Amino acid sequence: MVKETECCDVPGLTPAASEPEIEKAYHIKEEVAVEKDHVRESGTPYITSRQLQDTVNAHPDDPSSHFKLGIFLWENGGSHDKAVAADHFLKSAKLDPQNAAAFKYLGDYYATFSVDIERALKCYQRAVSLDAHDLHSGEALCNLLHREGKESLEVAICKEASSKSTRAFWAFRRLGYLQVFQKKWTEAVLSLQHAIRGYPSCADLWEALGLAYQRLGRFTAAIKSYARAIEIEGDRILAWVESGNIFLMLGLFKKGVEHFQRALEISPKSITAQFGLSSGLLGLAKECINRGAFKWASFLLEEASKVARGSTYLAGNLSCIWKLLGDIQHTYAKCYPWMEEDWGLCAESFRTSILSWKKTRSLALLSAKCSYQQALHLAPWEANIYTDIAITLDIISTLNGDSGSEFNSWQISEKMTLGALMLEGDNHEFWVAMGCISNHDALKQHAFIRALQLDGSLAGAWAYLGKLYRNRGEMQLARQAFNYARSIDPSLAIPWAGMSADLNIRESTSDEAFESCLRAASILPVAEFQIGLAKLSLQAGHLSSPQVFGAIRQAVQLAPCYPESYNLNGLAFEAQLDYQSAVAAYRLAHLTTSHFSDTVPRSHVRDISINLARSLCMVGNFFEASQEYENLSKEGMLDIEGLQVYAFSLWKLGKNDQALSTVRTLASCISTMEKTRTAASVGFICRLLYSISGLDSAINSIMKMPTHFFRSSKVSFVVAAIQAIDGCDRLDSIVLSCRSCLQSHEEITKMHILIALSKLIKHQTDNCLGFHSGVMHLRKALHAYPNSSLMRNLLGYLLLSNEERDDNHTATRCCNMLYGFDQQNKCLKSAYEIHGAGAVACYTIGTSHPRFSFPTCSYQCQNGIGTIRQLQKCLRQDPWNYDARYLLILNILQKAREERFPCHLRATVERLILVAFSNEPYFNKDTSHQYKKFQLLLCASEISLQGNDQIKCINYAKAASSISLSDNYLFYAHLLLCRAYAAENDSNNLRNEFIKCLDLKTDNYLGWVCLKFIASRYELHVESNSLELSFKKGSVEIKDLQHVVIPVSSLVDGLISFWSQDFMAAEKYFAQACSSGRDDGCLLLCHGVTCMVLAKQLCSPHFLRLAVNSLLKAQVISVVPIPMVSITLAQAEGSLGLKENWESGLRFEWFSWPPDMRPAELLFQMHLLAKQSKVGPDQLRVELCQSPLRWVLRAIHVNPSCMRYWKVLQSLWNEG
Amino acid sequence: MKLAGLKSVENAHEESVWAATWIPATDNRPSLLVTGSLDETVKLWKSDELDLDRTNTGHCLGVVSVAAHPSGYIAASASLDSFVRIFEVDSNSTIATLEAPPSEVWQMRFNPEGTMLAVAGGGSASIKIWDTSTWKLAATLSIPRPEGPKPTDKTASKKFVLSVAWSVDGRRLACGSMDGTISVFDVARAKFLHHLEGHFMPVRSLVYSPVEPRLLFSASDDAHVHMYDAEGKTLIGAMSGHSSWVLSVDASPDGAAVATGSSDRTVRLWDLNMRTAVQTMTNHSDQVWGVAFRPPGAGVRSGRLASVSDDKSISLYDYS
Repeated sequence: MVKETECCDVPGLTPAASEPEIEKAYHIKEEVAVEKDHVRESGTPYITSRQLQDTVNAHPDDPSSHFKLGIFLWENGGSHDKAVAADHFLKSAKLDPQNAAAFKYLGDYYATFSVDIERALKCYQRAVSLDAHDLHSGEALCNLLHREGKESLEVAICKEASSKSTRAFWAFRRLGYLQVFQKKWTEAVLSLQHAIRGYPSCADLWEALGLAYQRLGRFTAAIKSYARAIEIEGDRILAWVESGNIFLMLGLFKKGVEHFQRALEISPKSITAQFGLSSGLLGLAKECINRGAFKWASFLLEEASKVARGSTYLAGNLSCIWKLLGDIQHTYAKCYPWMEEDWGLCAESFRTSILSWKKTRSLALLSAKCSYQQALHLAPWEANIYTDIAITLDIISTLNGDSGSEFNSWQISEKMTLGALMLEGDNHEFWVAMGCISNHDALKQHAFIRALQLDGSLAGAWAYLGKLYRNRGEMQLARQAFNYARSIDPSLAIPWAGMSADLNIRESTSDEAFESCLRAASILPVAEFQIGLAKLSLQAGHLSSPQVFGAIRQAVQLAPCYPESYNLNGLAFEAQLDYQSAVAAYRLAHLTTSHFSDTVPRSHVRDISINLARSLCMVGNFFEASQEYENLSKEGMLDIEGLQVYAFSLWKLGKNDQALSTVRTLASCISTMEKTRTAASVGFICRLLYSISGLDSAINSIMKMPTHFFRSSKVSFVVAAIQAIDGCDRLDSIVLSCRSCLQSHEEITKMHILIALSKLIKHQTDNCLGFHSGVMHLRKALHAYPNSSLMRNLLGYLLLSNEERDDNHTATRCCNMLYGFDQQNKCLKSAYEIHGAGAVACYTIGTSHPRFSFPTCSYQCQNGIGTIRQLQKCLRQDPWNYDARYLLILNILQKAREERFPCHLRATVERLILVAFSNEPYFNKDTSHQYKKFQLLLCASEISLQGNDQIKCINYAKAASSISLSDNYLFYAHLLLCRAYAAENDSNNLRNEFIKCLDLKTDNYLGWVCLKFIASRYELHVESNSLELSFKKGSVEIKDLQHVVIPVSSLVDGLISFWSQDFMAAEKYFAQACSSGRDDGCLLLCHGVTCMVLAKQLCSPHFLRLAVNSLLKAQVISVVPIPMVSITLAQAEGSLGLKENWESGLRFEWFSWPPDMRPAELLFQMHLLAKQSKVGPDQLRVELCQSPLRWVLRAIHVNPSCMRYWKVLQSLWNEG
Repeated sequence: MKLAGLKSVENAHEESVWAATWIPATDNRPSLLVTGSLDETVKLWKSDELDLDRTNTGHCLGVVSVAAHPSGYIAASASLDSFVRIFEVDSNSTIATLEAPPSEVWQMRFNPEGTMLAVAGGGSASIKIWDTSTWKLAATLSIPRPEGPKPTDKTASKKFVLSVAWSVDGRRLACGSMDGTISVFDVARAKFLHHLEGHFMPVRSLVYSPVEPRLLFSASDDAHVHMYDAEGKTLIGAMSGHSSWVLSVDASPDGAAVATGSSDRTVRLWDLNMRTAVQTMTNHSDQVWGVAFRPPGAGVRSGRLASVSDDKSISLYDYS
């Protein structure tokens, strides 16, 4: 319900109300007379009504008994009884003149049976005046009055009733309808609103209310009312159509169209709905055109014209439909786009496609012309149709290429505009149209000025005037006119375009011109603006912007006959690095020049050819590129840039001699070139010389060149790179001199990187690049440029490549991932790669999850999880990044290893590896990719081994071993095979693979150690000599040999001895390992434990003391407390009698275990501690947190199989 | 039109939040926001307070995409290793697990009728369509390879498909590729129709207008949001403003605005009539991976927009 509280003065209410009062008195008298007659006439009443009759007889003066009898007869009797009933009603009314119902029945009787309208009217009137709520009488009365044509009386009755009671809804309804009929909209709204309160589900009322609102201009309220009517009854066509009209008026074409479509479903032949639908579609299409969606617009217009054409068949004599059809066809002709799709690069099909496009347009225009003429024929007084015809004629003539050169004769279009002006000379729009259509400058100017005289704020007229002045070269005036236009209406395209052109001429910076043109093109997408925009963007360097791209693509659709649009389109493609499409565009440009444009200047053709050749070269089609250039050079139209690309494509084709001769031509031009372009040419020449004739000849040529050629940063990089490769440092002086050209930080850091790389080459040894010197250089440079992520990454890369121990931790620390990913700056390796590789490079356990193990890396690298997440981030950003995927696999394998290969991680790695194998890079044959493939195969093999799938494991490992890599790597494939066969208990193959491993040898001590383990574990008796020989010590530095290899080797020997129960030997080996100078907690623990065993076996305090020493040292040096160290130490010290130390050691041990991993023995020992502790409650100690009994219970809970605990429990129980 | 910040949850996940979508309301609960993260969990949040409703675990790698069935009862989540988990929203029971080779599941979307699930097939250069009644692979829509002189020249990886979108009438399917092209398919005939040009860097996110079946919005690494007439293969609007990759785009239910999230750490609201950014939200401190408008439904009057970011937070805005 719409609430409206508008007050309104209803005129004429009082006099109208007084009239029925008089009539009423008269009316009652009449009624009484009639009733008398009836009594006389009435004969025999019904038997069934006997009772009622009796009552009447008994009380002849009781009005109610008469009334009751009357009702009984009226409702049950035939037509004869009606008269009797009426008689009784009459009597009743006479006796009780306040009984409205009696009058109602009487009214009905007079109206229907004894057709006496006058009496009926009076009875009804009486009934209504007695009871304003009486719907029946009121409606009947009004109907009678309506039939008599007494409209004012009707209104008066309704008003009276409505003034008597606010609940006389029938009266409000009637009144509302009447007021709508009388077009008294404000009053109608009030009445209808009131009536709706009584009949909220009456669709008619809502519809009428909607109409009233609509006429009052309150569209939102109207839409709501119509919507309510539609909601109540779905097929209210008026509501559908009218709300559709409102939507169109509000510019909501889509909704409007939906409504009209619905109306047409209800009534397919409704002309108004059809008209609305087609104009809605036209509106939608215009919206699309403004956005540039021409195809969409033409689709909508086809639909619209179908509908409009249909309604011309139904109602051919409506001028407005013909006009609408004309408008639709006219718009269609203007927006119909040419789509380049259905043909290849065949000239003939291109031609036909363009021709058919032209034909479609001109056909549409012709039919528009016809439609307008029909409209004009039907309504010749409509002046605007004249201009419509004129405009259509004008477009037809431009499309057909008539230049309209006959100055003397009037053109038809001008004549038609005059027709409009004759009818309405003061219509400024017609003057503007006149101005646009006319070919005579003077007339144009006159027309525009006349329009402006009529309306000074006519932005369009100012704009066209500006254009006119511009064409005549009167720039000052033009600018003024444009400025006026722009200040009046900033949403007009032409002044912006004009301003842009003006700015472009006047100023050197074209940004502002570009902006203006961009605005013009986005307001009005026409080909002229779009092409202009593309040209400006070429100057301003915005060619890759999508606004320009969209505009130029649309320009191609609108102006397919114009070669420049293709040429610019090609340039836009090139800016987006889509050279294939650029080539196609340039080819089209060529086709257009040869087929459709006769007067293309030579320079344009040359530009297109140069562009085409360059793009061909970028695509890799060097042959055609060089042919294009050859043609150009024959005509002598090859510029410097062309020469460069020509030389390049010749070189690519292998025509080195020609390439060199072209380079020579190019070199001869350098001195005459602009300074800015010299650098590119010199750099190019140097590189090409190096590529064609090799290092020495390139160096010689460079040395011959004048030194001022090298005063540029670009050239300095080229020269520095050549110098890096050169072993003899012949270019040193030149390189040094041109380094001074480097200005920006970015260039300088890049040069540092180049220098570092050159140091790698220059200081390389036989099989190793000079990483050290490279690292040193970068470290120094980083000092000067600490925030250069490029240098940091390279440093990290070099450190990692160095394969020196511990450098991997430095590597990950020196490059920061927090800077995020580099989107452009990629130099060899990015931060994520360094981190990913660094995390894998540290093979010590780094897990921070104490459930699996404890971290042993002395550098505390705990980046496992972090790295995996970072790599996932990389993969999320670049899902096609194979390196990230590869590193992710390795890192997850590392994690799986640390967590002892849980099932879900195995599955993940397996899946990731499977897809990695299908990736293209791994089909490459170069070493780095083959190495990665090898690694992946080993991963897959390891995972299968851990999953107890030996067959798969062996297959993967075999595949890995068949990859052609150096023996160092292949060693691991065979090592894995050893393990797989060992797991299968296949001793023959195990032995074979073992021997293979011995043959291949390794330079990594870990591999060698593994080999040693296998030999001892599976009792492969080989000469110890050959085992020793399989380790290539030569490649390990002396420092490492002493600090790492010997201790590890001793450790292994010790462990092997330990397992074979040879504790004395084991102690010796462990002691040897510990004494190598590199302290390691685990080594010391091993030694300590062995000493403890020996001490127990031999009861020797000497070994006990040794154990204490080692364990104490282990406790002190380990960064993270190693479990078992303290407890063993405590035990040893306890045995030595140092009870205090035993207690503190035990407590220390307690904290070196993660809470959920503590062994039963520890809990058990804590019970001892708790039992002995007699310290006051103020000192909080671990063991006192629960009773000894609880400790033992916990120990039993963890390990119920140990009888010792049970016994103690029993004794404790007994004590308790 | 404007956005007003309502609520932000810092550390909503332990790690970067990568995906977000709204699960439509059902008869007995309002709509929920569902987010997926690198921390391998999927979380469901109640609007407007963003109370955590449930945390679903089970993925082995980061969750890259989440999708909600139009009925509101079913949702899907996919992780980097390309396991798609289909689960019941209210009970979290698994309905199906779809498996594809890793790198072949990126953006996922249910069609408006809810009969199909389209999955952007990454390296397979195709869209995979799963039938939602049998959970079997129903169709594979492949992007045709261009007829260049060198067909082997990395074309497959160039067509790496990242994003997918259904038109509002369910008749068209669009997918965005790494090389910037957008491919449009006819769903009924399972046929490739044409490419849309204009982007030259990866197209990370696509969405059709909810009111106009021809209108398609795309977000690309070239920092632009494009508006296409997807039938007439015409670029009809390009919106500039972001200074880095545009990672996600969503259209408002009234079709008058789009919101985008970008690597420049902002969320922007774009007025489609003016074709400019009318508002820029800078509350995130890292790149914004997902934006999602709440779909309209029974009892839902006010518009809501959610955004999720690498800074582990979720933000909710009022859209009016």
